[in-house]
Amino acid sequence: MAPGNIDESLLDLFIFETSQNIEQLEQIILDYEKESSFTADAINEIFRIMHTIKGSAAMMMFENISSVAHKVEDMFYFIREHSADDIDYGDVADLVLESLDFIRCEMAKINTGTSADGDGAAIAAKIAASLQQKKDKYQNEQQSVTAATADNVVNEEPITKKLHNYAANDENIPVVNKKTYKANIYFDEECQMESLRAFDIINKICQFAEVVEYQPGDIMDNDNSASIIRENGFEVVFKTSGSYTNIDEFFSKLLFIRKYQLKEITEASLPQTEADVTPKIHIDDKTEQKPKAAAMSTAAPADNHTAPVATMINVNVVKLDKLMDLVGEMVISEAMVVENPDLKGLEIENFSKAARQLHKITCELQDTVMSIRMVPLADVFQKMHRVVRDMCKKLGKDVKLEIIGEETEADKNIITHLSDPLMHLVRNCIDHGIESEEERLKNNKPKAGKVTLEARNAGNDVLVIVRDDGMGLDKKKILAKAKKNGLLKKDSSEMSDSEIFNLIFIPGFSTNDNITEFSGRGVGMDVVTSNIEEVGGSVSVESTEGVGTAITIKIPLTLAIIDGMNVQVGDSLYTIPTISIKESFFPKLKDLITDPDGNEMIMVRGQCYAIVRLHQCFNVKSEITDFTQGIFIMVEQYEKTVCIFADQLLGQQQVVVKTLPRYIKNNFKVNGLSGCTLLGNGGISLILDAGWFTGMK
Amino acid sequence: MTRVLIVDDAAFMRMAIRKVLEKNGFEVVGEAENGEVGYQKYIQCQPDVVTMDITMPEMTGIDALKQIKKYDADAKVVMVSAMGQESLVREAIMSGAKSFIVKPYKEEHIVQTLQSIATA
Amino acid sequence: MDRPMEEELLEQQEDTQKGRFLTFPLGNESYGIEIQYVTEIIGIQPITEVPELPEYIRGIINLRGKIIPVMDARIRFKKPFLEYNDRTCVIVIDVNEVAIGLIVDSVSEVISIAEENIVSTPSIQQINNRYIKGIGKVGNEVKLLLDCEKILNEQELDEVANFE
Repeated sequence: MAPGNIDESLLDLFIFETSQNIEQLEQIILDYEKESSFTADAINEIFRIMHTIKGSAAMMMFENISSVAHKVEDMFYFIREHSADDIDYGDVADLVLESLDFIRCEMAKINTGTSADGDGAAIAAKIAASLQQKKDKYQNEQQSVTAATADNVVNEEPITKKLHNYAANDENIPVVNKKTYKANIYFDEECQMESLRAFDIINKICQFAEVVEYQPGDIMDNDNSASIIRENGFEVVFKTSGSYTNIDEFFSKLLFIRKYQLKEITEASLPQTEADVTPKIHIDDKTEQKPKAAAMSTAAPADNHTAPVATMINVNVVKLDKLMDLVGEMVISEAMVVENPDLKGLEIENFSKAARQLHKITCELQDTVMSIRMVPLADVFQKMHRVVRDMCKKLGKDVKLEIIGEETEADKNIITHLSDPLMHLVRNCIDHGIESEEERLKNNKPKAGKVTLEARNAGNDVLVIVRDDGMGLDKKKILAKAKKNGLLKKDSSEMSDSEIFNLIFIPGFSTNDNITEFSGRGVGMDVVTSNIEEVGGSVSVESTEGVGTAITIKIPLTLAIIDGMNVQVGDSLYTIPTISIKESFFPKLKDLITDPDGNEMIMVRGQCYAIVRLHQCFNVKSEITDFTQGIFIMVEQYEKTVCIFADQLLGQQQVVVKTLPRYIKNNFKVNGLSGCTLLGNGGISLILDAGWFTGMK
Repeated sequence: MTRVLIVDDAAFMRMAIRKVLEKNGFEVVGEAENGEVGYQKYIQCQPDVVTMDITMPEMTGIDALKQIKKYDADAKVVMVSAMGQESLVREAIMSGAKSFIVKPYKEEHIVQTLQSIATA
Repeated sequence: MDRPMEEELLEQQEDTQKGRFLTFPLGNESYGIEIQYVTEIIGIQPITEVPELPEYIRGIINLRGKIIPVMDARIRFKKPFLEYNDRTCVIVIDVNEVAIGLIVDSVSEVISIAEENIVSTPSIQQINNRYIKGIGKVGNEVKLLLDCEKILNEQELDEVANFE
């Protein structure tokens, strides 16, 4: 399997499973690091996972990943075999995490189709050095040299020519009429584990013959005899009553054999050691200890049931996206059939009945597909443990992470978008929110800070709250900064606390003057906002000085299908998400206002709202420019409201949200649109970004 | 057609082996992700040959091999091992494993091994 | 579209794609696109306009459920706009999974141009040849060979200034 012709589904699975293994391993490390010791189960588990990663990576020819994983595996092999109490777990954890980061980085490269060319030699050497140190220490303590580990240097001691005896298992073979044979066997160069291949052959010969001797004789307990066999071949002498032809056939069927010679020999040429010694089969007692049923379900980390894993399958998200698309098309097609203009005015009771049934099934199907795409937030939340750990270690702070409601579910695609903002927020909390230890003690706060991640459902949204018990936001500082950067739109004395705090989300506002390694990087909270808004969510902040800050992210449960209102402007069609529409209405002339600057506004129930003419805004030719001929749609988003003017409403329907083509997204900035959708007639409607409209004025 | 049961905790490995086998005219009758399930599947599917990973959670390949052998002394089990697991492979052979393959294996290795064992 | 050509496109799909170009006339010149980037050729489709895009991006079309942008090659290469008719074609190209339709007057044929018959364009600042990879010589004619990757990555070249 050269990288060039890797089976794609196999690669997908490799990426998926290895990523899962990395996450799982990281979690184990973080869990146990707190207690600064690993249980035997944990060690087994880490060993096993690293073993799996190593094996899979080697199969896929990702040598660098495989070799780093191998080194970690070796280290845990040693730890497991010697359960030394004085191992520095912090050091071990650092090494494992560093290795995981390396592997993760390589995986990311593989995922994006670039070659995984990272050099793992440095980290492999680091682990090897650490392992050697542990071994030396152990040896000094034990005053013995029994610390045989998997990567021991190849034993160069002289080949023992001494012949070993081996009695047949089957005592019933009559000794009479037995002939003695000698076989010299040379294995394939690539067969690996030659000593065990030889061992296997002896085992097989024992079933029909009495093995007299073989050479090298120490294959049972010296794995390094493999190299001897590789060079000199393997020789076995045995007695049997079987015919030469039969025996030759036996050898010819053996696997991985480059060549062999089978000779009948006379009794006299045998050395004088009789086969009366009881079988000496040494079994290494360093067998693997059974990993106890560690409650680690690989299929669904958040799932604590011990239900048979066989009922779970892993599915590529691309397939789910495709399924979702298809269901979307079906919803559209259904509308096309049921609302077909040809049916207008017809009395078709049976048709209507059938149509209702179809609608019911379509809805159910849609709900089911949606539910398949729903995944718990647990994965994203659990990732934050690592973030907190690294931050604390670097900044010398002590912060506990509390997680609430990690079982809350949201659409897979939305959750993917949540990871980065959340990481940013958590870093911010620890970096800027949580005070130094001295300061906390001075303010009668517990020494350790606390960051809480909470998720819960709220209607069609999921709320994710990042809360810290730190110093809170400094209103004065925020105002000063906003003023300096020219972000203040009105007098600060007129602003509510909430308005002041939310200034931090405005692009161009970066609260921290001293850019730290973690949360700074020259980007501010506006990155969080833009990420969240991309999936139709919103961010808000509450804070009390000296008590803490809470940032609330509101994200929709699902994105793929939304209820939308189709409107027409000239020849163009637009879809407005129903969720942001408050009402639509025909205006009265007396309510329309134009200010001296030419800004158009409308009074609705005593409130004044800005008007956006879609035809003007999108530069579309339309006959309808007079307000009384068209219709107004009042749109609200993020507590701001605007009235959109369009030619006419076409009706409400469920639409499948598609993003704008990559070429357009990559090269141009399109304001006011969040995507597009296909209509029943094959046409395209552009989905309006309500947030942009309400924010534009 | 030789009917094979694949026991491996890594879905990747199961798929890799399955692909090789199916390409070479074997029928994969079942997969199991640990020794325990492997043992149950053996009883359920009655495969001609089992490929058995060694390092697995819940029940290791060695223990599963022993269980299967207890249930069916003629069971044909091939161990899938990695370098560094010599002592375990030895134990497996002592416990009745018919052969073993070493990861990362070559396609023809696995095919040859299974073919020869199936026809033995 | 032209059946034989589509078949030819399919036939050429594998390793013989190198050095093969789909050619089309545009004004007085003839252009060529490397076959490996061309996924299909379709007739002109109803186009949905998208606001705030440069004039040469006519909008988006629905290509069997996939939505792709369409670029008018004439406008892009500063030639007078020509109303679309039933000879107008959309050449769908795909570079690293970014797809775009190129609207051209018509398409001509698929030809092979050997490496040694391709010369690079003169690199003088006054000449606007950013999208031309080279000039292919075929008999007495020359074909301007388009650089698909550059066509699909405007921003780095000239759009960045407009949006900063």
